[in-house]
Amino acid sequence: MSGFLAITVLLAAPLLLAAAGELLLERAGSIQIGVEGTMLLGAFAAFAASQRGAGPHGALAAAVLTGVLAGGAFALFAVAGRADPVLVGTAWNLVGYGATAFGYRLLAGATGSVLEIATLTPVLLGMPAAVLFAFLAPILLELFLARTRPGLAVTAAGENPLALDALGGSVVRVRSAASLAAGALAGAGGAVLVLTVSPTFVEGVTAGRGFLALALVVFARWKPLRLIPGALLIGGATALAYRLQAGGSTAIPYAVFLALPGILALAALAVARGRGGAPKALGTPAP
Amino acid sequence: MSVPRRVLVPAAAAAAALATLASLAVLADASPLEALRALALGSLGSRAAIGETLLRSTGIVLTAAGACLALRAGVLNIGLEGQFLAGAAAAAAVGPALAGMPLVARAAILLAAALAGALWVLPAAVLAAKRNVPEVLSTILLNLIAATAAGGLVRGALRDPAGDYPQSRALPDAVRLEPLFSGGRATAAVLVALLAVAVLAVLIAATPLGLKLRAVGLAPAAARAIGLADGRLKVLAFAGSGALAGLAGGLEVLGVTGRLYDPFAAGVGYTGLAAALLGQAQPVASAFAGLFFAALGAGSSAMQRDTGVPAALAALVPGVLVLAVLAARARAGRSGS
Repeated sequence: MSGFLAITVLLAAPLLLAAAGELLLERAGSIQIGVEGTMLLGAFAAFAASQRGAGPHGALAAAVLTGVLAGGAFALFAVAGRADPVLVGTAWNLVGYGATAFGYRLLAGATGSVLEIATLTPVLLGMPAAVLFAFLAPILLELFLARTRPGLAVTAAGENPLALDALGGSVVRVRSAASLAAGALAGAGGAVLVLTVSPTFVEGVTAGRGFLALALVVFARWKPLRLIPGALLIGGATALAYRLQAGGSTAIPYAVFLALPGILALAALAVARGRGGAPKALGTPAP
Repeated sequence: MSVPRRVLVPAAAAAAALATLASLAVLADASPLEALRALALGSLGSRAAIGETLLRSTGIVLTAAGACLALRAGVLNIGLEGQFLAGAAAAAAVGPALAGMPLVARAAILLAAALAGALWVLPAAVLAAKRNVPEVLSTILLNLIAATAAGGLVRGALRDPAGDYPQSRALPDAVRLEPLFSGGRATAAVLVALLAVAVLAVLIAATPLGLKLRAVGLAPAAARAIGLADGRLKVLAFAGSGALAGLAGGLEVLGVTGRLYDPFAAGVGYTGLAAALLGQAQPVASAFAGLFFAALGAGSSAMQRDTGVPAALAALVPGVLVLAVLAARARAGRSGS
């Protein structure tokens, strides 16, 4: 793949993983706006595992496990505990940022020297398996939601939790399971970032990708397959910002092209949101 | 078991704070007592320490006040971080050009900052009204846009050609704020913040406008039914919230840094929001929570130096505290008290 396209795909992969997880959780009726925090925790877990001698796949596994724990914490507070999920997510972003900054200082010492870690090796088309999986994830999620019984239960928990409850299903269990999976995917997203394009950890390394993932879910109008074009668009905008920054072009003001991914995401929200498609019980507590 | 909410919630917060501080110290191979002692001395133990706490409190207390104003009208403003940056960028843009009378220059800088903060709310308010986009999502993206755009401004339009690092030109020394007392770095900026809290507390509790805002926040349908313009009141509170955060950004440039650089805000707006959530959207209680977080920030630098416990603990504790309070409040709510 050519340089620009390859970078676009690599930058889209973490977004796709995190957004696929968030989409699953939102289809189940809950919302975790702390995806950024979980991505950071995943990125740091991968970094820490690498520092302790794990290979790139071990690092990825550590990130997924950390993401599952993060999903469990969210389920405990916001699903089973019925605290306002938006406030829990807001706090979670602080927790993710603070915990990883704290852990990074413990590992790296106060010097702040850059510690590189081993990256994932390409297997096909110059891409590592985890990146290819990121593009497969929305397809698998689509099949899961449309074709399987647990997938139907997820949709029921998000559209009509009272009915699911009346039929003997457990909304808390469905949403908690979705939260664990969403955590795993966000953790993997953070890990793929530090195991491909930026092979080190710095404080706040995810740089708002969790926020972009949230916008992508709305842009996709809660349909998994529509995540792919959205993630490529944002990934491309980010790649363009990198390239223009390196090239030092002054044709467009710096401020505009560095902010381009966020501006595009906001525009996408404006375009998509009016058309609806949100799960009917999104953000409401379980019965 | 039924524990009253007014006991459970503060108890949970205090327990969570202590448990977090102690376990983080242990994680860093330090004695929890020594870490706490270093925190206390580093935040309150000397004039310099108190100055540092007051210096850091300005941004947190003001953004917390902004969060309270919006919350009371029923708007969760997660965009304080971006509004703070917009204010700082406006101050850095107009400041270097203003010579002459320092008082006029300061007023102009702060006005520009507050205005920029209020304007940074506008896209979110418009998208909410016209396109039904939740403020939570739009303001989060506006934070990201502000952070990246500020990074671009200090490398492009606002760049100081004389500087080695990407940063904006400095404010004239005569315009920048003087230290409030000798031996500490705190300036009159903290007094502006505390004054704003007092005004806001009175506005919310004791004025007709405050009553209307609270009505809109508590029961929008009922407020509409008695003829209140609920949409307009919400936008007003939202913009006021942004103005307070913008003012905080302007004061940061005027009183502390003298210029804009990248990264600049480092979570001030998020910490302020955490303080407001901890203070249950009461301006005075939230200001105390903000002072506590500022003391934590000031003390954590000394703690890192003396005991080796990373100062990043100051970023983690507010999040843990909010989670503890949310859990306690949800629990107290379920047990019916």
